[in-house]
Amino acid sequence: MENHFEYIDGWFHETLSADDARQFEQKIADDPEFAEEVAFYLSAVQALKDEVRREKKETFRQLLAQNPSITNENREGKVTRMRVYQVAAAAAVLVCVFFAWYLFFSKSATPVEMADNYMSEKFKTLPVTMGTERDSIQDGFQLYNEGKYDSSLQQFETIIQKDTGNYLAKKYTGIVYLRLGNYDKAIEYFSQLEKYSLFANPAIFYHALTLMKRNQPGDKQKAKQLLQQVVDEDLEGKDVAQQWLKKW
Amino acid sequence: MIRRNKKIIGKQNRFFFIIPVVFVILGDEQPSVNFFKPFLPTDEREIIDSITQNGTERKRGEERLFNRYAYFIKEAIYKYSLSPEDAFDLYSDTIISAIEKIAAGSFEGRSSLKTWLYSIFHNKYVDLMRKKATNKNSIHQTSSISDLLLQVSDQTKSIIQKLVDKTDGEVLRQRLGQIGDNCRKLLLLWADGYSDKEIAGQMDYKTSDVVKTSRLRCLEKLKQLYRST
Repeated sequence: MENHFEYIDGWFHETLSADDARQFEQKIADDPEFAEEVAFYLSAVQALKDEVRREKKETFRQLLAQNPSITNENREGKVTRMRVYQVAAAAAVLVCVFFAWYLFFSKSATPVEMADNYMSEKFKTLPVTMGTERDSIQDGFQLYNEGKYDSSLQQFETIIQKDTGNYLAKKYTGIVYLRLGNYDKAIEYFSQLEKYSLFANPAIFYHALTLMKRNQPGDKQKAKQLLQQVVDEDLEGKDVAQQWLKKW
Repeated sequence: MIRRNKKIIGKQNRFFFIIPVVFVILGDEQPSVNFFKPFLPTDEREIIDSITQNGTERKRGEERLFNRYAYFIKEAIYKYSLSPEDAFDLYSDTIISAIEKIAAGSFEGRSSLKTWLYSIFHNKYVDLMRKKATNKNSIHQTSSISDLLLQVSDQTKSIIQKLVDKTDGEVLRQRLGQIGDNCRKLLLLWADGYSDKEIAGQMDYKTSDVVKTSRLRCLEKLKQLYRST
């Protein structure tokens, strides 16, 4: 009989061989005595489990009898749990604060920063045309684009010496001086350009740009006035001037 | 190099650099279970760890669990208008069920222990109300034979169930008290989910094979006592 229990126990603990396991159900159907053994095994398991629960319940009853006050209070104490969603919410708030800070401060960029950004975008290279015939201005552009600013300057100034009224040569001479950080000379050339009566003359805008870059006492105020003039008189550089004045 | 990269990113492009970071933080990807587990309070984790241990450590964990949420009993009396005895039964059954699940590794830590426990508590309350409505007074949890016979066919289940129904559970429980302390303790530990190896450690048996042999002998003894009635 003991062997029956070993076999039954093996089946419920899944330790039987595949053949023995296959025969289990058939044996229940064919052998009433074996079926009774299985039923007793299960009844015993059930009775034992019930007994375990009854004992646990009795232990709990004693615990409660020893200290009835445990039902009165929430004994969880301080909750120290870091909820994932709370952490995510905190992160979201931080990100929002960062965005707000970024948007606020990005609006109030300094004139020097605005000038730097404009120069790095617009004056990085000068427009060399693709043609078979090259003129002196184009040679100056070429030298500028190769980073040979002094040679480029020399080229433009030579043109001016030959043709004192050459607008383009004066414009680019001013730009090269601005690029080289010689702001006084740049302003001198842009001031000369202001006298030219042209359909699109960026002289006043460039003058303001140079003052923003020079950033000496009074330059900011003067640059702002010039930018306002560009906007009011609808001069070349108006769009950029409007943006800068908003961020000023 | 950094300055150069900053220029490449450009001011207007910085938003596109930041936005993916926000989505990583706030993304709707559900963290895995293991991600949540470390966020359980320390004392909850300690209780769970204790219950998955053996012997006195497990017993201590069970008692801590009972004490920790015993205020549920009062809630059951006031919220559900139960008698103190019914409220105690309801809470005890909840704790016993929770202990069995924790010991079997069924608690995954998807919610706090309290939330999980309260859901069991509430479900048991619903069962109790249903049973009361159908005049079945007992809410004491008993293990179902059909749970143990999940692997067998309906025909086999039917044969066994009929034989089990003939067994006198009360006599069987009485005989359990007559098989000797060692046998009784061994069988109760086994029914409580301890493995033969764990029982060997607790009851100073040499090996798990010795425990198995002793366990089967004890079952045989119980059967002889029962049949001699």
